[in-house]
Order: sequence, then C-alpha cells, then structure tokens
Amino acid sequence: MLKGIWGSDWFGLFVVALVAGTGLALFQPAFLSPFNLYVLLISFSLWALVAMAQMVIIAIGQMNLSVGAIGGLVAISFAGSMEVWGLPVPAAILLGLAIAALCGLLNGVMTHVTGISAFVITLATLSIFKGLNIGITEAQPFYGVPDVVKAFGNARFEGLPHMLIVPVVAIILIWLLFNRMVLGRQMLALGANRHAAELSGIRVGRVVVIAHVISAVLAAMAGMLAVARLQLGQPTIGDDWLILSFAAPVIGGAVLAGGHISVIGTCLGVVIVTLINNALVLLGIDPFFVQLFLGGLILIAVGLNRWRERRLAPA
Amino acid sequence: MATATTGRGGRGALGLLASNEVGLALLIAVLVAIFATVNPGFTSPFNLFALSRVMGIDMVIGLSMMVVLVTGGLNLAVGSIGVASVMLGGWAMQVAGVPVLPSMTLAVAFGAFLGWINGQLTVRMGVHSFIVTLATMSLFFGAMIVATRAEAFNALPRSFVDLGKLRYGGFVSGMLPLALIVGLGLWLFFNRTSLGREILAAGANPQAAELSGVRVNRTIVVAHALSGALGALAGLMLAARNGAALPSMAGHIGMGWLLPAFLAPVLGGTLLTGGVVSVAGTVLGAAMVTIITNGLLQLQIGEFWVQMCLGLILLAAVLLDRARSVIAERRRSVA
Repeated sequence: MLKGIWGSDWFGLFVVALVAGTGLALFQPAFLSPFNLYVLLISFSLWALVAMAQMVIIAIGQMNLSVGAIGGLVAISFAGSMEVWGLPVPAAILLGLAIAALCGLLNGVMTHVTGISAFVITLATLSIFKGLNIGITEAQPFYGVPDVVKAFGNARFEGLPHMLIVPVVAIILIWLLFNRMVLGRQMLALGANRHAAELSGIRVGRVVVIAHVISAVLAAMAGMLAVARLQLGQPTIGDDWLILSFAAPVIGGAVLAGGHISVIGTCLGVVIVTLINNALVLLGIDPFFVQLFLGGLILIAVGLNRWRERRLAPA
Repeated sequence: MATATTGRGGRGALGLLASNEVGLALLIAVLVAIFATVNPGFTSPFNLFALSRVMGIDMVIGLSMMVVLVTGGLNLAVGSIGVASVMLGGWAMQVAGVPVLPSMTLAVAFGAFLGWINGQLTVRMGVHSFIVTLATMSLFFGAMIVATRAEAFNALPRSFVDLGKLRYGGFVSGMLPLALIVGLGLWLFFNRTSLGREILAAGANPQAAELSGVRVNRTIVVAHALSGALGALAGLMLAARNGAALPSMAGHIGMGWLLPAFLAPVLGGTLLTGGVVSVAGTVLGAAMVTIITNGLLQLQIGEFWVQMCLGLILLAAVLLDRARSVIAERRRSVA
C-alpha cells in the first residue's frame, strides 16, 4: 500500500506542493490569509478545468490547440445570449454547453474521418472558433451579465468560493471515467496503441469523438466560470490557456504520446503552477517572470518524465 | 521548384506535386482578377505596395516553419524567437549605438542561437519538438519581456526604418524581393547541397537515413537553427515596416504568427510528417493568404471575420490535400 503511494505519479508532486505551500506560509504570513486562499482557489477552479480539457485529449494520444478558443467562444455566447436575447441563465448555460459539444464534435469527427493529425485540425478550428468570437463581438466585451451570474462569481462559503464546486464535480467525474469506466480505459488503450485498440474491438471513432466532446465541454465550463469571475463576457477569455493546458498534465506525469495520464497528478500540477504564480506576487517578484517559469517548468517536467521512463524501462 | 523525395504517402509522382504549385498560381490569378474587378482600389499602387510588403514578411514566416516541418517536427516558438531577436537588435541599434547592419546580423544570429537551443533540447531529451517549442515559446517570450520591461524601441535609426519604405517600380516593396531571394536560397539549399538533402532524407525516414550514414540529430539541430534565423529575419522585416521593435508584434507569446506560419507551407504541399518540401509552394501559399486577407479587408467584409476565413482556408486546404492523396492511392492500387 505504502509502496503504491510512493511509486505513484503524484506523490512527488504532492511533496513539492506541500513544501512550497509550507515555505510560502513561513516566509509570507499573507499567504494563509483568507483572502489570498480564496483568490488561489478561484484560479485553481479555472485552471483545473482547462488542464482537464487538454488532459482528456492527451490521454488518447492527440492534442487540442482549440481548448482556449472553445472556452472563449462559449464565454461570449453565454454572456451575449443573456445580454442580447435576454435568455435566462440556465438556458444560456445549456446553449454554451451545446455550442461546446458541437465544437468538440467537429474536432473529433474531422480528426477521425480524415485521419489528419489533430494538431492541424485543431489549429484550423482554433482560428475558426476564435474568428467567430471576434466576428460576433467585434472585439468588444458583453457587459450585460445578469446579477445572478455575477453573484455566483463572488459568492463564498466559509472562505471557499462557490465556483469551486464546478471543478470538484468535474474532477471526480473525470477520475471515475479513467479509473472505473470502460470508456476511459478504452481512451487510454487507444492512446497507448491505436492498432492494438482497433484489433481488440474498440470502436476508435466513437472514442475519439467522445473524448473531443468531453474536452470541449470542460473548456466551456472554464469559459463560463471566467465570465462569472470577470463579471463580463470578455472576447480575450481563453487566449492564454494554451501553455497552462499542457503544463499541468505534463507536470502531472502525462505522456504526450498518449495512453498515460494522471487526474490527481494534473490537479497537483495546477496547484503547483498556482502556488508559483502566487509566490511571485507575494514575494514581490516581477509578474513578467510568470511566462519564464511556466516554460521552464514544462521543460523540467518533460525531462523528469523522460528520466523516469528510461529508469523504469529496463525493469 | 518542386522537390520530390520518398515518403509522400503513395503520391510520389512529380506531376501531382507540380500541379499543386500550378494550381496555387492559378488560384492566385483568379483571386487577383476577382478582387481587382470588384474593387479597383485593390490594384492601386498604394495597396500593391502595402500588399507586397506584408506578403514578403508572411513568406519568410512560412519558410521559417517550413524548414522544421521538413524534419517531421514543428516550431511553435517561431513568433517568440522573432520578437526576442528583434528586441535584441532594436536594443543594439537604439541603445548600444551599434550600426544597423551589425545589429541586424546580431539579431539573426541570436535567432539562430535560440533555434539551436530548440534543436538541442529536442534531440537530447528525445521528445517531440511540439512540447519543447511549446515550452520555449513561453520561455523565450518571458525572458524577452523581463529583459525589456515590455517597452518598445521606437527610436530606431533612420536607415533601418527606411528599409521598410523601400520600393521598386513605384509599387513593389523591397520586402518581396528579399523574401524571394531567401526562398531561392532555400531551394538551392534543399536541392543542391548535401546538407539540405540529408535533412530531407532524415525527415522522410530517420532510421534509413541514420543507417546510410546521415547524422539525423545534426540535421534536426541545423533545421531548428535555420528556422530561428528566418524567424528573426521575419521579425526584422516586421520591425522595419512598423518603424519600431514592439514586444507585442507577434501577439501573446508569439502565437499571432502560428496561423500564417502553418498556412503557407501546408497550402504549398509541405507535409507535416516530414521529408517533403516545396519552397515554391510555401512562397505561393503565403502569397495567396496575403492576397485573400488584403482582398477581404478591401471588400469591407470586416476585419473581424478575416481570421475565421483563414481558419476555413487551412481546413479546406488540408482536407483537399488529404482527398487528393486518397484518390492517388486508389488509382495506384487499381492500376
């Protein structure tokens, strides 16, 4: 049992996160202030969904460059439909999820039917979704977000933001998907060895399409949470998600070739990135360093993953 | 100017490859005819000058991606490298007082160095260049922002800014001939030099190339360094056009260049799997993208819809290319 935990993807990360958190708390008492923890949890909520959206596609051995573009398109559709058409909030949420499902369907069907690499397909759909976003909004935000949504974005319970409930439910469902459900196993099998997966009777097309739809829906949730957080439908939502969406799963031990991901590892990846961001702010370090750290972190994580793979390989 | 090597999924025929470029040229002619008829302003010397200037820059951006695609890799950091190099060049010119030509050389050399880092990391870590350049695009851009405090160099020497105003025959920007010369140089490199051929061979089939004595890792590093140098050159051209070296000129972490960078080679028939290159195709692909963008802007379709159109074009292009190779495959198997 203990050995299982020790050898797991996430134990090392857990220690890193714990040490980083303790260190921060010792050097900067402000770290543990209720307000700072609240801010941390808000950014964790958003980033966790973004990271999950990419992780699901990494699991099947592909990549989805359009995660941010889908999040942005859903965000402005969500805000715009409430402001311009006066849609009630639940209807707007459903509309957002439906748009995302359609985007995911497009990505999944096109990669599967044409056999073109997901990289190119999602690069093209990234521009299409982002282009639709800019075309609809003319690069101006929608300001008329209903008070209910704004209140949700600010609401907290005992220091916990209400919006935390969304990623928590999503993370549990995704964990169940990959650890307890046939579909999740099929996704991993497909990512590990497409040929073998086909031979063993997995309906590859179905699995690929479902993975892309799940990814898009997770991106949509992140987009709508961003609207609640920012209190407006900002067209630039999603523009800066790309690096993080890969960083967190890779830090969490995901193999980019597919077939191996860790839900807990990815979450800890998000925690570590959030802590580093927070540390830069609290310690008064130039916020410009964030990009530098993220890039360096990805390289270190990839290097460590490779080193571990090579060490494990002969055994 | 088509180069055929092994590995073009069953197509192989030079005729088909040639038709790719001829087709692009025809398409460009049709587009120009349509835009010129619908909007007389399209052929005004002013617009042609602006068009040829952007075209030259887009061509170099496309070529910069192309040289890495040939190896079967890619370079997401093209934009980051371009901006980082140009900010160094701008600093040298404006702050350090280095003359223009040495500053430009410094910028290109720095671009090559950053590309070399990408190549080395890819080879040493043994991972796909996607993840390496994803990390370095953030890394290089972050380092540039920290070093420059996100401030522009907008008092560049006259002689540098004048390069952006250079025009031939009243309506051709100096940027276009420069891009064509770069293209010609690359064509010679891939067709006439052993190193160029080795890069192609390594891209088509790394194992076979390694067995026949090609140092595959070296070809990958060289291609990345070349890509970095071309990215820096594109950055210099853009800075000369803007009259300033701006940290924001390639968008957030340089992502603004990704679409033009991939559009041109993919439209031109360069395969993402490596081993096949078409310099002329990339040049024509970039020309077509620039003409469509410019034409749409002129037609008042609205600048806000241009990006979506480019996305649709990329999608249509890859679907068409795929359909063509499937048809070629079927014909071959029937015969």
